[in-house]
Amino acid sequence: MTPLLEIRDLHATVADQPILKGINLTLNAGEVHAIMGPNGSGKSTMSYVLAGRDGYEVTGGDVLINGVSVLEMSPDERARAGMFLAFQYPVELPGVGGMSFLRAAVNARRIEAGEEEVDQLGFVKLVRAKAKGLGINDEMLKRAVNVGFSGGEKKRYEILQMALLEPAIAVLDETDSGLDVDALKIVSDGVNLLRAPERTMLVITHYQRLLSHIVPDYVHILANGKIRKSGGKELALEVEESGYAGIDDAA
Amino acid sequence: MPASMMQPDLSTLDISGDLRTAARTNWQESGWPGPRAEAWRFTRLDKVSAKDLVPAQPLATITASDRAGDGPNNGPNNGPNNGTGDGLAVAAQIKAHAIRIINGRVDPASIEGLPARVRVGKLADDATAQAAMAALAPAGHPVSNLSMAVMSCGLVLDVDGIVDTPLMLVFDGDDQRLSTHPVVLVRLARGARMTIAEWHQSSVGLSAPLMGIDIAAGARLDLVKVQAESTTTTHIAATGVHLHKDAVLAGFSLSLGGDLARLETHVSMQSEGADCQLSAVYLGRGRQHHDITTVLDHAIGHCTSDQVIRGVLDDRARGVYQGKVKVAKDAQKTDGQQMSRALLLSRKAEADAKPELEIYADDVICAHGATVGELDATQLFYLTSRGIPEAKARAMLIEAFLVDVIDRMEMDDFIPVLRTVAEGWMAQTGIADKTTISDQEGGNE
Repeated sequence: MTPLLEIRDLHATVADQPILKGINLTLNAGEVHAIMGPNGSGKSTMSYVLAGRDGYEVTGGDVLINGVSVLEMSPDERARAGMFLAFQYPVELPGVGGMSFLRAAVNARRIEAGEEEVDQLGFVKLVRAKAKGLGINDEMLKRAVNVGFSGGEKKRYEILQMALLEPAIAVLDETDSGLDVDALKIVSDGVNLLRAPERTMLVITHYQRLLSHIVPDYVHILANGKIRKSGGKELALEVEESGYAGIDDAA
Repeated sequence: MPASMMQPDLSTLDISGDLRTAARTNWQESGWPGPRAEAWRFTRLDKVSAKDLVPAQPLATITASDRAGDGPNNGPNNGPNNGTGDGLAVAAQIKAHAIRIINGRVDPASIEGLPARVRVGKLADDATAQAAMAALAPAGHPVSNLSMAVMSCGLVLDVDGIVDTPLMLVFDGDDQRLSTHPVVLVRLARGARMTIAEWHQSSVGLSAPLMGIDIAAGARLDLVKVQAESTTTTHIAATGVHLHKDAVLAGFSLSLGGDLARLETHVSMQSEGADCQLSAVYLGRGRQHHDITTVLDHAIGHCTSDQVIRGVLDDRARGVYQGKVKVAKDAQKTDGQQMSRALLLSRKAEADAKPELEIYADDVICAHGATVGELDATQLFYLTSRGIPEAKARAMLIEAFLVDVIDRMEMDDFIPVLRTVAEGWMAQTGIADKTTISDQEGGNE
């Protein structure tokens, strides 16, 4: 079976500095993988490289979605191919209405799939239904994208987008950062609802606490640009107890 | 003074009346301002003076061929403005009364059946109105002389009550050698209230409208202008406004046509409580040059002014905003704000902003700000990471950049019209072709 996402010996630089130094990962449908690592290990770089952000240059290796290389694809093409990145710092878009943003995103995918665009009324109903479970009210939906949202609201809004876009591959970049216990629970519940046999998730986090809510099938430790250790969910607890010290050299 | 700086040549025109002959003399002595004129430092008029222009006949009546040429930008080089729509159709859509001015001449049929409380008169036959017009015309502006002298049509619009039906002046024309000089005097009586729109969609050589507006105590004028001339037309407009006690001017201009366009507005606040709100948006591409110039004179205290300017420039287009706010010595408690922002979509586009405060009073609140920036790369990435194609993402961010200024309008009927015009512009720009952007934002004052 072709993996949903395959990362092969991925090397990448930012401003000519090598950050990713040969990453290998295979994510099959239905699996949830966690990437843990200390600050500066390359976690966020990896998420941006996967999404195709400008300024993150791939210098070696490959990234394949369903067996097809995406390195030559723009961020929007990758997204329509099934990739979704939940941002660590969701971006404020003053003047861009939330509903029209969500609709543009959903329609872009539908047009690609040869489906009809969603009608406005049906879409509002759909968004409201999905927003309710995430504690996002109508007033928030009416605002400009992420403008005036608290940190927790921004993260919930990311998960709402994910729920609407139903991506094959969801990359969650430090979705737990800046969340209090209650917000963490709401966001995690939202993510868990989206676990599905046809979907894979890559949960990037510094701390174990997120992984007690979103329980991964596999845990990988990223340090200094490489996966240094892989294991089951118990690896996260191990790191929680003994920290990242010493892992650098373990590979 | 080279003869080219006095194009069009008025020497053979039949011009009558003291004020108009004096205006001709002034024009023949001064012509277009040269490169050393400070107020025209950013906007050189070589293009217009290089044109071989024939002035429209003074006070001429409309001809059958004028009517045949009626329609938006129907010259051979109608360029990118096809998407802006036809002013007459827009007037019908928003249930406005349309006055048609074609090749500088007014269509007499269109000034019949005006809304109640609006009277139309002939400027050429009314010495008092002409004197009022001369007093309102922006001092020292070339169009104040040129168009006053030629006066291809001269209208007086008197409004003496609250008028719900908007009036739209639709300026059309297809004669590419022609320079047109419509002169319109608008007078709002005490407590009157009205919306007047100017819609320019001609493909003449030079379009040089002169407007004089007098707003009496407690009256309010909402003034909309859409400059959607063909890209071969030069548009140089002069508007002079006097605001009396508690009078309000709410102006909104959208400038996107023409090879070179300068919209210059002078507002004099002459009694306490006057309020002047000016909003302007310019959209430029190719080698277009857009200039928004304002001179606001707080001659007396307790008046407010607020200017918001937004420009979007692609290719090698250039945008200029010059905003002068004068506060007289005794004009205490003046509140004068101005903020201009320009968005550059291309490395070769250029924006200049020159806010100027000339304050002689000590108890005032005056502020100005100007920024020039590019589309934010992080915002663009966020949108595209959701699957939104880059061209659409750019259009969304440009629209977001403009939305607060468009929404500032209180004329609800016009907002969808202006959004449609702006969207039409974006749809026709090669905004998907740009490869390099950055998120730098820099000041330029």
